[in-house]
Amino acid sequence: MLIGTMPFGFVAGVAAIAAGMSAAQGLALSMLSFSGIAQLIVAQLIAANSPVLVTIAAAFVVSLRFVMYSAALSPHLAHLDRRWRAALSFLMTDQSFALTVKRYGEGGDKRHRHWHFLGSALTLYVSWQAAVLVGIVMGANVPAAWSLDFAVVLSFIAILVPVVKTRANLAAALVAAAIALAAAGLPYHLALVVASIAGIGAGLGVEALHRRA
Amino acid sequence: MSTWIAIAGVTGVVFLLRASFILFADPHGFPPLFRRALAYVPAAVLAAIVAPGLLMPAGSIDASLDNPRWIAGVIAIAAAAALRHPLGAIAVGLPALWLLQWAIG
Repeated sequence: MLIGTMPFGFVAGVAAIAAGMSAAQGLALSMLSFSGIAQLIVAQLIAANSPVLVTIAAAFVVSLRFVMYSAALSPHLAHLDRRWRAALSFLMTDQSFALTVKRYGEGGDKRHRHWHFLGSALTLYVSWQAAVLVGIVMGANVPAAWSLDFAVVLSFIAILVPVVKTRANLAAALVAAAIALAAAGLPYHLALVVASIAGIGAGLGVEALHRRA
Repeated sequence: MSTWIAIAGVTGVVFLLRASFILFADPHGFPPLFRRALAYVPAAVLAAIVAPGLLMPAGSIDASLDNPRWIAGVIAIAAAAALRHPLGAIAVGLPALWLLQWAIG
């Protein structure tokens, strides 16, 4: 899990510099948002000179999955005080969510498992920032012929493919992809928002059909 | 300056979404449809980013053989599905793009 995220961190660091961010900005974005997908989409939009509000809105859309994770984890963390819950929220990622949900699914005493959550999340945080830093330092020296910008799309594919496990998820992905292409002319990257909503609707629709059948 | 404002805004938005239920709300207070809809967010959002990245390299749809990105993308999707490893898509997709770029010239 840890080794798999390192190249994404490197790509996120390179992308920040390629987008025209300073090293301090790239590192600040990484240390404060700690989200590979948000960092990559922000780099893409800053490179395209998008308005600030559009950049923030796009980060909002790609980070909506955290709401799902937050809802799933909250019952396990309800007994902790606000500082603990704020810290664990800040550190939550796709990887630490997956590890933590698996851990809470196991039997035995669960009251102290937030320490396990904190440990895996902090380990990821430190190694992620190190990988981003390497990308930032090397960013300017990566030749354009390597097409490292394509690695960004590829890293989204890497996350997308395992998610599409059910027919409803496949419908969500296909409809969202089709609408994203059809609506690409919309201003302010609104296509992402419109396509995401259409895809979610398609997923719900297929799920409803499946239930009735 | 606008980049710093974007960084601050993104930081706030990402934190609030992560903290939404852990810190602020009780998930049982929301309709079941809302929670079911959340399950499709990752597939929909990621596909909406990937599709234009593969098929619109220069702003308009190009599904011809002159566009190596969608071909490399299809290869990467197959690799990710077959290898079941987080690095599969990059390890196969990037060399595939280089090869196609060289072949198309």
